Amino acid sequence: MSSNSVASSKVSGNGVPSRRRSAGPALLGSELTVLFRRRRTWAMLVAIALIPILLAVAVRLSSETLAPGEGPPFLDRVTQNGLFVAFTAMIVAIPLFLPLTIGVVAGDTIAGEAGQGTLRYLLVAPAGRLRLLLVKYAGVAVFCLAATLTLAVAGTLIGAALFPVGPVTLLSGDVISVPESLLRSGLISLYVTVSLLGFAAIGLFISTLTDVPVGAMAATVVVSVVVQILDVLPQLSWLDPWLFSHYWLGFADLLRQPMDLGSFGDNVLLQLGYIAVFGTLAYGRFSTKDILS
Amino acid sequence: MSRNSTKWLPAIVVPVVIAAGVIAVPLQAGAAVDLPDKTPEQVLLMVSDSTISAFSGTVEKTAELGLPDIDLSAGMSESMSDSMAESAPEGKTEPGAAATGALASVMELFSGSHTARIHVDGSDSDGPAKARVQIQDRMAERNVVSNGTDVWTYDSKTNTASHLTIPADARAIAEAKFAEIVDSAPAGLSTPSQVAERFLSEIDPSTTVSVGTDGTVAGRTAYELVLTPKTTRTLVESVSISVDSETGVPLQVTVRADGQEDPALQVGFTAVDFSTPSADLFDFSPPAGTTVEEVALPVMPEMTEMPADQAKPEIPAEKLPLVTGSGWDAIVEVPAASVPSELNANPLMSELATAVDGGRLFSTALVNVFLADDGRVFAGSVPVEMLQAAAAQ
Repeated sequence: MSSNSVASSKVSGNGVPSRRRSAGPALLGSELTVLFRRRRTWAMLVAIALIPILLAVAVRLSSETLAPGEGPPFLDRVTQNGLFVAFTAMIVAIPLFLPLTIGVVAGDTIAGEAGQGTLRYLLVAPAGRLRLLLVKYAGVAVFCLAATLTLAVAGTLIGAALFPVGPVTLLSGDVISVPESLLRSGLISLYVTVSLLGFAAIGLFISTLTDVPVGAMAATVVVSVVVQILDVLPQLSWLDPWLFSHYWLGFADLLRQPMDLGSFGDNVLLQLGYIAVFGTLAYGRFSTKDILS
Repeated sequence: MSRNSTKWLPAIVVPVVIAAGVIAVPLQAGAAVDLPDKTPEQVLLMVSDSTISAFSGTVEKTAELGLPDIDLSAGMSESMSDSMAESAPEGKTEPGAAATGALASVMELFSGSHTARIHVDGSDSDGPAKARVQIQDRMAERNVVSNGTDVWTYDSKTNTASHLTIPADARAIAEAKFAEIVDSAPAGLSTPSQVAERFLSEIDPSTTVSVGTDGTVAGRTAYELVLTPKTTRTLVESVSISVDSETGVPLQVTVRADGQEDPALQVGFTAVDFSTPSADLFDFSPPAGTTVEEVALPVMPEMTEMPADQAKPEIPAEKLPLVTGSGWDAIVEVPAASVPSELNANPLMSELATAVDGGRLFSTALVNVFLADDGRVFAGSVPVEMLQAAAAQ
């Protein structure tokens, strides 16, 4: 609450016509400050970091060795090479945990301000509703990146702490050095971030529909669950390439040798489509909405 | 009010534009490509004159054969190897293993869709052709790497590798034999060009060959060679082969079944690059921690057999199957003695086969396999009545 009013006052300060050009970056800066000053954001990032940590500790404490192919992908490799912790954690977190945290952040964007009564102060400044929407979306995108990077960094660190680290065997059976493996971890984080951007746009749109942030968060998470169920139904296989979750696990293509970037191109187009459709829907709704709170 | 409606305008325009793009782009890709007219002979000549010996590309295979959509290969190989380990006597293991392996790969060919990346380098005319096939699975990959002297397979799911050394003389013999069959094609792979050649070699008076509509495959303009059986007593409606208009490389093979809209079987490039692939792709050494299995070289006659020989189970040379008829409606009869016992014992097989008059039938859109009660097996791209009639004779 207090942090939000800080943001509002900053924005109205920047909204003076003479400084209008800088209003966008300033607004984004204050949005990010608000986002990353929140205890909730940090709690979610810590929870994300706990995924690889729990996973690595469990594997470390357990005495039984996994047969190849048992459990989530790469889990049996973890004991031989700690760098695999990050990959396994990414696979484990993608279906539910990452959408959950992003649903919370995206669902809160507009509905949260409206629910707290701070939205109209934000709009007093001549920043405009479109700019506010863009800034809010950029904030969600930054959180997506922060979440996937947290997962990768925490996974790599805990893996290195508990297990031996060495050259990484790719899916193709080729072996890459540790620095190249770290590079690929970074690329995977970017890939997953891009994969989540379409979903984030849906969350932004849902957030413009209501003044109750919890409702928007829940609805956004439900959307991600429903779409993933649709993705596994064989009867709807024709629909699969159009679902925003279709390439969520496609980052495995970065673990092939040579890297297969074909699916990444399709993924980018798909996510851009979702951003365009739900971004314009959010604009239509938000710009015509009566702001009462 | 009109001010408000203009703000909704982008939300209406953007989906329309995207929908239009989604519809228009494939249309444009498949849009009337007009290549200079060629006769079927000229297209065939393009294929045989093709000088391409090195390429890499992505191959996609889809099969719509009316089989249940389950992972047949995994179920088949696992349950079969289990039953083999329990029941098979020591000496019998080798041919049995070959048969089950062949059956498993045949079943896999028949089900679902697969994507593979293929790299071939046969540009060094004195040295052996190098090849690598990467079958992409979800979160896993299977690799076959051949650098001409060593063949490696690697399966990331089980983290196992197998190794096979090709003796120099065996290679020479195999190459000589292979050279008799084909001149230009790269060796030993299930690439579209191999599949195409299999069908091209079967062109005889039983088949009408024509050039279909020009099209685009993997972003390249292509002639379409259409083979239509002259007989109506076959399940195959047509086989079309798309041939790259520039290089003469077959890019896609489509097999259509009678009375089915989707292609029954399609193998084709979705992307292809005719530059020589990087040499270190063919250097393979098993990663640390991998279980490596040394494989003995299979017996010589098998070397020249096509890997994708679908209709006939592999059998010892002395128990040759009996082929009646020729061309599209040929029927293969396998004597009861050379049918692997695992075929009947496998629970998956009994699940897939349905009881018909005089035996059981394993039916797909392209091939019918009739397991007669007396143990003989009849197979062919023909209606089941013909198989039953052949069994009754």
